Amino acid sequence: MNRFVAGATAASALLVLTACGSGSSSKGTTATSGAATSGAATSGAATSAAGGGSPVTLKLVAPDYGSGPADASAAYWKTVTDDFTKANPSIKVETTVINWNDLATKVATMVQNGQQPDVYVGGDYAGFVKDKLLYPVSDVLSAATQANLLKPFADKGIVGGTAYGIPFVSSARALFYNKDLVPTAPTTWDQIQTAAAAVKAKGKIGFGLPLGSEEAQAETMLWELGNGGGYTDASGKWTINSPANVATFTWLQGLVKAGDTEPNPANKNRTDLWKQFASGQIGMINGSPALLPIIKSTNAKLNFGVAPVAGKTGPLTTTLGVADFLMAFNKSGHKDAIKKFLDFTYQDTYQEKFDLEYSLLPVTTSATTALQSDANLKPFLTALPTATFYPFTDPAWTPVSAQIKQIIGTALTGDPAKVLGQIQATATKK
Amino acid sequence: MSSTAVVVPPDTASGPPRRRRTRRQVLGRRLSPLLWVGPAVLLIAFSVIWPVVTMVQSAFLRISSYGIVDGSAGWANFQNLFNEPDISAILWRTVVWVLAVVTLTLVISLALAQLYNEQFPLRRLARWALIAPWAASVLMTSIVFKWMLDPNNGAINLVLRDLGLLDQLGSASADHLGKAATAMPWLIAVAVFVSLPFTTYAILAGLSAVPSEVYEAAKVDGAGTFRTYVSITLPLLRPALTVAALINVMNVFNSFPIIWAMTHGQPGYDTATTTVFMYVLKGSDIGESAALSVVNFGIVIVVVGLFLRVARWNTEVD
Repeated sequence: MNRFVAGATAASALLVLTACGSGSSSKGTTATSGAATSGAATSGAATSAAGGGSPVTLKLVAPDYGSGPADASAAYWKTVTDDFTKANPSIKVETTVINWNDLATKVATMVQNGQQPDVYVGGDYAGFVKDKLLYPVSDVLSAATQANLLKPFADKGIVGGTAYGIPFVSSARALFYNKDLVPTAPTTWDQIQTAAAAVKAKGKIGFGLPLGSEEAQAETMLWELGNGGGYTDASGKWTINSPANVATFTWLQGLVKAGDTEPNPANKNRTDLWKQFASGQIGMINGSPALLPIIKSTNAKLNFGVAPVAGKTGPLTTTLGVADFLMAFNKSGHKDAIKKFLDFTYQDTYQEKFDLEYSLLPVTTSATTALQSDANLKPFLTALPTATFYPFTDPAWTPVSAQIKQIIGTALTGDPAKVLGQIQATATKK
Repeated sequence: MSSTAVVVPPDTASGPPRRRRTRRQVLGRRLSPLLWVGPAVLLIAFSVIWPVVTMVQSAFLRISSYGIVDGSAGWANFQNLFNEPDISAILWRTVVWVLAVVTLTLVISLALAQLYNEQFPLRRLARWALIAPWAASVLMTSIVFKWMLDPNNGAINLVLRDLGLLDQLGSASADHLGKAATAMPWLIAVAVFVSLPFTTYAILAGLSAVPSEVYEAAKVDGAGTFRTYVSITLPLLRPALTVAALINVMNVFNSFPIIWAMTHGQPGYDTATTTVFMYVLKGSDIGESAALSVVNFGIVIVVVGLFLRVARWNTEVD
């Protein structure tokens, strides 16, 4: 799920665009005054509108998470909004589903033309906050729903001390293992090595290590977390070439040299290795819930298990978390109607329905608990409340991530300290 | 609507004496060439000159990874570029890549063209077949080759195994694209494969332009096959060969899809050429990437200039 990163990249582009957009919005319409300046006045009007039963139409813009007509997100939103309007006849919801590639540009155009939606799923909120176009979360989400959000995800929505972004859907990583090749889940690096060597002896690949250009930054982070390392320290300072991270790659080098991984992990990609795992050719691999439907469609009989990602001395209590956020625009002043709609949407039924449809994970505590009955999802859900994120709020993350994707694999054949030092230099440049 | 009437300047236009032209008519006739040339000039300005100017400008700007211009960077982008630890290896690899692909392509194409110039059954079919790699998208060809080289079930590996040249599928020795040492030859092979059709046809056209009397004269003089080829065919092919080589040098230097699709320039930058490196840099530093574009552009211009000088193409064509 690269979307969040993509969203963050688009953010600054939006930042520029919205700067021009907010100016024209105030003269474009006369009924509601300039959104940026008088949010309080307009929200008063909305209270009477929604409360008094006169009809309100909310505009919702959401990306298409589906891969075709069969699982188009429009169908999901139709269910939610139909149910919602049945329960609240005075509020209609008009949904526009846009594909991911065009989402940010189309919404930017809407904002420039003063036609911002009421609720926008999937974009970056930081740029809009700067232009005072968004409602704070406390205005559009009841206290109960707010408290139900998983804290590390909700915290990511805070800009300058106030929460504006609301996590909508998440994903995480766990260790998949083929039970026919690896009978019990390894929890430590030593156990991984032993199990991988045993799988290799059977003529299959022990551990699938995708350090090629597709998503090396995810695999790298999981291994570094396993040794108490990571891309940054608690204060947000870059620690890419910390001794713990160098030690991580020195250890991985040993695993690769022993032949316990696929050959030449430096240019092997996640998609290919996941398929190989699904076909039973790989003993262990780190994966997200998106691997579950791949297994189901290619080799439903695969005897596999899901466990927490293994660390050096024990299983990880955290995991790599990613999330997509939604936000509410304050221009049309439909604060109370939005609140009703969002509280409705964040009910477990709809969270679960969305997550199961797209193999993603919930962002609320109650939905997380409700889904725990699925043994394959449990390891993901257990780690979610303590998830760790990419340092995507640091502007250097984009170049750092691009460089990791290209060269991190060479840390398996060359000098890890040198390769990691090179990336650290990129992070701390300027 | 004959175009010659338009191109000939009015004062030198000959013909029966007519009424004196008014000044307006003269001006109109002077400007009318612009009507025909103008769109082409505009097109070139828009699609060639403007991008080149923008490219050079970007190379001197500090641009954030989100695409926002942060002011002038002076020569910093170029300094960063030449301080990249991998840059010298990438430049050398690019030289080797261009030389290897163009030389192999020319040698194989000369042989193929000679063959296709002979009369043999189904020649038409064979000539058509040669177009296939040309007609297919390069990206598609590259992906097909990548699949054929798949360590676990690639067609090439299956053949190698059946021939006893490969011990085990999925092993390190089956992973041809995993290491630079084995990946580069395959990348070069695919680049040659996609360059052959154009080059062969260019040479074939040159061959069919050689008058048969020259060969008859050589025969009468008692020249052998080899002597005929070296002394007659090759010199007369020079214009065709020069054009083929020149276009190949530029194409191969700028070639991107083969390496990108098959290895992504990996491991690290071990199979990257300057064009691939430029694309990778775009993801992290747009200004530095633009600096490399300028360097690439300069290299192409210098190489083409040198090449034309050495080949003395304009003296030979007549």
